[in-house]
Amino acid sequence: MAFLSFLIRRLGLSVFVFVGVLILTFIVSRVIPSNPAALYAGARPRPDQVAAIEKKLGLDKPLVEQFRVYVGDLLGGDLGESYHSRRSINTDLRIFLPATLELVIAAVVIALVLGIPIGVLAGAYPRSAFDYATRFVAVAGVSVPSFWLALIAQFIFFSQLGWLPLGSRISRDASLFYPVALQTGFFLIDAAISGNWQAWLDALHHLILPALVLSAYPVGVTIRMTQASMLEVLSETYVTAARAAGLSQRVILFKLALKNAIMPTLTVVGLSFAYSITGAFLVETIFSWPGVGKYVTEAVLNVDFPVIIAVTLVVTVVYILVNLLVDLTQAFVDPRVRLA
Amino acid sequence: MALLRVENLHVRFKTPFGALRALRGIDFDLARGDILGLVGETGCGKSVTGRSVMRLLDENAAVTGGRIFFEDADLLRLTEGEMHKIRGNRIAMIFQDPATALNPLFTIGQQIDDVQRTHRAGSTRDRRRARLELMASVGLPDAAQMADVYPHQLSGGQQQRAMIALSLAAEPDVIIADEPTTALDVTIQAQILDLLRRLQRERSISVVLITHDLGIVAETCQKVVVLYAGRVVEKGTVEAIFADPQHPYTRGLLAALPRPGSRGTDLKVIPGNVPSGLEAIDGCAFAPRCEFVMERCQRQLPPLMSLAAEHQAACLLHEAAVHG
Repeated sequence: MAFLSFLIRRLGLSVFVFVGVLILTFIVSRVIPSNPAALYAGARPRPDQVAAIEKKLGLDKPLVEQFRVYVGDLLGGDLGESYHSRRSINTDLRIFLPATLELVIAAVVIALVLGIPIGVLAGAYPRSAFDYATRFVAVAGVSVPSFWLALIAQFIFFSQLGWLPLGSRISRDASLFYPVALQTGFFLIDAAISGNWQAWLDALHHLILPALVLSAYPVGVTIRMTQASMLEVLSETYVTAARAAGLSQRVILFKLALKNAIMPTLTVVGLSFAYSITGAFLVETIFSWPGVGKYVTEAVLNVDFPVIIAVTLVVTVVYILVNLLVDLTQAFVDPRVRLA
Repeated sequence: MALLRVENLHVRFKTPFGALRALRGIDFDLARGDILGLVGETGCGKSVTGRSVMRLLDENAAVTGGRIFFEDADLLRLTEGEMHKIRGNRIAMIFQDPATALNPLFTIGQQIDDVQRTHRAGSTRDRRRARLELMASVGLPDAAQMADVYPHQLSGGQQQRAMIALSLAAEPDVIIADEPTTALDVTIQAQILDLLRRLQRERSISVVLITHDLGIVAETCQKVVVLYAGRVVEKGTVEAIFADPQHPYTRGLLAALPRPGSRGTDLKVIPGNVPSGLEAIDGCAFAPRCEFVMERCQRQLPPLMSLAAEHQAACLLHEAAVHG
């Protein structure tokens, strides 16, 4: 019962956040001194053309009216149309969002799977050679620019070793001979659903390098957060009590202490996940990955407001969902949170 | 034959100000089925002694001499793997503040089960039955429900009962109780001490009771070891020490206790401070605070001298009485 009311309160809060972001983004996009209608009209439009387009797009109406129309469309599930390409944003995002999510989820999974055990051990053996080595790796992961890492990775694994492809989500051969029927937009899921294992392997092959490059930052963050948090938890009396009870180091570290130490890590990784939706732009570009980062960057360069607003809202929803997930995890992990 | 025997135990701490001699030769025996009180002021080394027995000293501390026999094994010479089979299983520990000694994210039942699984074979159902019996025996009502609650849902007294259940989960022979009642209300204190006495009687468990409270010692223990600045200054049976304290420090401690009729008069205090342990001490550590101090107390380390069958004190005042 306590859990349900926690969930309801938490969801109510999320609606507020979403509405706030919606209003702000909308106002900012209308206040910025630029003329979307002129943009829509193409090169060197005549004033009467611009006026006609303003009328068509509803830009001549008062701001409140424009907002009402926009929210109406949004409630109907319509994100609008790009001023630049005149394509439906819904259609575009159905391709770009899963591509980015597939990449970012892979990066975060890598970060957690690698970073947590490393962080736990580094925290358990402070000032050991292992601790210093992981500190170096973590700081490097956080501070090395992703584009540099991407180029180096391509140089090593594509040019030199030839193990992994240079970029894109799937090879031309695979898309010709084993076409993936798109349902979710996640290639790994779609290929698995249809039992298309050749395409699945090919997609995985293409995913490894960009996901690894993108995971450098969250891996570093995960290691550092887990290490710091473990260091603190391991000095608690209940850890001494567990040692005095003769429990094994494995149980103490990975069960008793880690459960107490994990939340800061999950919080930060959750934030970096949401950030990566648009922040993966450089990695997406270098690996020719058709994702949201590339999409929104082009939109910004073209002052394509409907796309900018739409992507902002999508990212907001991702932030909200990830934070909700983190909070629910915390409530699940810590019985004291459920009461608060 | 003592169950636990500490011989000439020395422990040093590395500090930014130099080596701190926390223990400077501790000796005591714990007989099977006894409750032994380890008494002294803050910083006298009583907790360090307990931690040394468990081999759970902090990283900056090290045993620099002495031996700790449990049955026939010198605990200080065991490998870490062998020590794992002693901790919790043969010698368990109870801590001062149960609120911090219980893991906040696991239920009482889960925490007891971890200890059971580590040290005892048996099916899930057997462990659960043993667990509920154990919880009932330490006075946790509705054990079946209590097993599924988290520490923060319990009162302080219940938490300490849960901690005691946890320490008993593997049926140890010795419990080291480090100030087990200090964080509790006075009425709860009495209940917890009753519980310890009952467990000692019913399960013939031996207890090392670390405390600064002589009242608790008088009520609970059979033997007392009085520590001062990392050394034993007096030890013996509770009767001998309370009736006839021989070391000036023990006398001072007893005189400092409030008594009926002492209302309105100032409590006696022992003037001066406990030495820090950073400076080398040649003679008796208590000499600077002692009202009977003699010139040789400053140079000569007083050995423990037997005064009666089960009563020893480390004071040069008694040298004449013993040897003369």
